[in-house]
Amino acid sequence: MNEVVVDCYGEACPIPIVKSEKALADMAVGDLLIVQIDHSCAMKNVPEWAREQGYNVEVEEIDDGEWEVFIEKTK
Amino acid sequence: MNEKDTSNTSSSNEKNDTPVEKKSLKERSSRGSGKSLKERSSRGSGKSLKERSSRGSSDSSGESSLKSKSSLSSRSSSSRRRGSRKKKPNQIPAGMIVAGLIFLVAILLLNVSPTVSLFWMIGIGFGFILQRGRFCFTASMRDPYLTGSTTLTRAVLIAFAITTVGFAAIKYGYAANGLPMPGMGYVVPISAATIIGSFMFGIGMVIAGGCASGTLMRLGEGFQMQIISLTFFVIGSLWGAHDFGWWKYNVISKGKAIFLPDVFGWMGALTIQLGFIFFLYYVARRYQESN
Repeated sequence: MNEVVVDCYGEACPIPIVKSEKALADMAVGDLLIVQIDHSCAMKNVPEWAREQGYNVEVEEIDDGEWEVFIEKTK
Repeated sequence: MNEKDTSNTSSSNEKNDTPVEKKSLKERSSRGSGKSLKERSSRGSGKSLKERSSRGSSDSSGESSLKSKSSLSSRSSSSRRRGSRKKKPNQIPAGMIVAGLIFLVAILLLNVSPTVSLFWMIGIGFGFILQRGRFCFTASMRDPYLTGSTTLTRAVLIAFAITTVGFAAIKYGYAANGLPMPGMGYVVPISAATIIGSFMFGIGMVIAGGCASGTLMRLGEGFQMQIISLTFFVIGSLWGAHDFGWWKYNVISKGKAIFLPDVFGWMGALTIQLGFIFFLYYVARRYQESN
């Protein structure tokens, strides 16, 4: 199981999704993608999008206003 | 010391746990899809993915040569971040003080002008709802294309429906009593300029990461990149205001101002507008379901 971290600190709403989408395309099934975000809308947006895609998703607030979204590529 | 031993046990643990964890994850995702993120994460069932990643980092010490470069660097950074999470002081007292100050300012403004005091409270309330509700006009227009989700689009349509009823009630109240209707200055001509302008605005707000209210709200919650947006938002607004007379005279006034109740009557206008909003709502819902 590989882990890939996408650093999206300072990136506004659509960028984290676009970056995650590109990162997930290069990953194998079962890999874990960690998206680091500090944009509160992306914190809602990215998990919602990833769940819609059918991936397993978890969010952890690692600091005030900073989140790590864990996305497991399941397919 | 026993590095090899620990790595072995942890990797065997991983093999044993994986199918169980996957099952629980799947259950959770189907069960709790409607729940809010906060609820889900605070429920504590969210362990598995995080656990897997931290366990992965412990076994990487033994099998580092097998792992890819990106995964190694990612591991160290993510585990370091998680380790450095400090206990933060309770923010509730600070929030209470700020709320008290807001009301204090409202009371002081009441002495100056009740209208200003009302604007102050409405403005704060509007910002609070925008921030807590994650209401975003930009996302409502962008997400259907980007993620296929029309949740916010439908939220905006509901807001339009409510304001349609509210404004119709206010204006009808004035018109029925023979008084001049408030807000008629906003009945402005529409033309191709409206379409071109709104399309340009749409491109701009997606690049900037927020429309006017979204930019102010995100700057208020501390997203510093929006300072750039706000700076150019102010510059653009001033430039627009400077040249607005020319545009109004040469372009905007060429269009036709339409006030729907004048054309269809009050009930007709209300029915048409609400019907159109509900039609868009239905389309948005079907669009999300088809994805």
